[in-house]
Amino acid sequence: MGLQRKQYATAIGFLAPAFAIFFVFFYFPFLQSVYYSFTEWNGLSAPRIIGLDNYKRLFDDPRMIDGLYNTLKMVVFGLLIQNPLALLIAVLLNRKFRTRAFLRTAFYLPVIISLVVASVIFGQILRYDGFVNGLLTAVGLDAFAVDWLGTVKFSFPSIIVLSQWQAIGYCAMIYLAGLQSIPPDMFEAAEIEGARGFVLFRHITFPMLMPAVSIVLFLTIVGALRLFDLPYLLTGGGPGTSSYTLFLAVYNSAFVNQNFGYATAGGIMLAVLIILVAGLQMAITRKREVEL
Amino acid sequence: MQMEKKAPLFIELILIAVSLIFLFPVFFLVEMSFKEPGIFFDPFRLPNSLYLDYYRAAFTKMDFFTGLGNSLIITICGLGLTVIVGSMAGYVLTRRNERLFRFILLFFLTGMVIPAVGSIIPLFKMAIQLKLVNTRTLLVLLYTAQFVPFASFLYSAFTKSIPKDLEESAQIDGCGMFKMYWTIIFPLLMPATGTFIITHVYSIWNDFLTPLIFINQAEKMTLMPQIVQFMFNQQSINYGPVFAVSVLAVLPLVILFVFTQKYMIKGLVLGSVKG
Repeated sequence: MGLQRKQYATAIGFLAPAFAIFFVFFYFPFLQSVYYSFTEWNGLSAPRIIGLDNYKRLFDDPRMIDGLYNTLKMVVFGLLIQNPLALLIAVLLNRKFRTRAFLRTAFYLPVIISLVVASVIFGQILRYDGFVNGLLTAVGLDAFAVDWLGTVKFSFPSIIVLSQWQAIGYCAMIYLAGLQSIPPDMFEAAEIEGARGFVLFRHITFPMLMPAVSIVLFLTIVGALRLFDLPYLLTGGGPGTSSYTLFLAVYNSAFVNQNFGYATAGGIMLAVLIILVAGLQMAITRKREVEL
Repeated sequence: MQMEKKAPLFIELILIAVSLIFLFPVFFLVEMSFKEPGIFFDPFRLPNSLYLDYYRAAFTKMDFFTGLGNSLIITICGLGLTVIVGSMAGYVLTRRNERLFRFILLFFLTGMVIPAVGSIIPLFKMAIQLKLVNTRTLLVLLYTAQFVPFASFLYSAFTKSIPKDLEESAQIDGCGMFKMYWTIIFPLLMPATGTFIITHVYSIWNDFLTPLIFINQAEKMTLMPQIVQFMFNQQSINYGPVFAVSVLAVLPLVILFVFTQKYMIKGLVLGSVKG
């Protein structure tokens, strides 16, 4: 009995450091942020409770609204374009190639490069007299040479396309690993039954890939909602508020405008959005996983 | 009968073409860091010679080694601390099934769902109260807090594959649990440690937001915010040195990537599936 109690205590001792760090530096601040989101607070004077005012104001703020729209655009783009492309690349890569190692490295290498460095690169490639416009002019398409990051119409679409440089390779690698974990005899059996090409993909590959799809969709959504570095560094959210993301709007209202209560309300809204969308997506894909 | 899925040549060629588009920005990064001022903004001219002035400027105009040192210290300590506390937690979370431990497991799970965005401001206030603003210690603690749930899950999953009799025989020998863990169990959990490190080293090294918010002294700055500051100071006059610094900041990761690629992709999947 004494020994068992001692073991129990030691086990708690094993858990305690991780729990303490997690609680103090992650969970507790989160709980506090829920409280602050109902207050007016500039970080200096004491917070004053104002009920739901911060949340109401979120919907009158063009930065938050544009941020929200852009964030949702990004999610939709991620689901409808980035994912199918990543899956396509993974399916094509999942064969015997002489250049397979090279190809895999080429698609994955961008993932390890920081967004700061990516911004340095793309800031120059996309500048008005930069590489992309130079290329367009050289092939006689100068009519399409625009200020990619400096116009309301193009700034955010440009950022979405740039984000694909890393996102596609990352998702493709998860899909590729998912494909490789499908037992080959499943394909053989299906082929004996006469399944070929797209039918094979639709009825064997895709259902077997559902867990990977689930993970990739989750990462896509969370990634879109956390987008900060690229707009912060490349456009500052501009011109106007055209390339704001929610995350950037939250950051600016906190650290530029010192409006802490309001910023936490934005943060909570972002958190709720992430949990809702991710939960919804999990519910949908998990259901399909079970069905098949 | 093993079906050999040989790809047609044209698919391979298409993939190579697409992969070159993916590689182009990396090539551009390196190219620009060697391109002399006269042709710097001409997008179609390649560097004539190995022009090294930007690298010289990178070392003289910016305190590169301070940034490198800080990035190294924070990355190593952040990963190290997470491995130490996360592995111990993951181990007992698998081995004990009292209610408390199951509850904590769920509690960690919420940490993987809640995004850290909203908490930045309360954290900032707490850091001031604890006198941790502008310290590398704070960054290490923040990264650890953020990664501990994932690490615990990973170690918990790997612990399941370690036979229990190992520990039982060690207990008879009179080993204390703590000593037994570090001498017998932890070495067996090496694959989990490797997986964790090669998938998370990039998150810390490349992080820009956390040091941007919590560090505002040049001598404690990590590489990423340092590059941004350097870029803003250079303004539009010449980006050459910024490219040179960027190459230097990316280089350690690329070298690491080349050597751990195989494990990394494996770990990426293992991590995301088990997490």
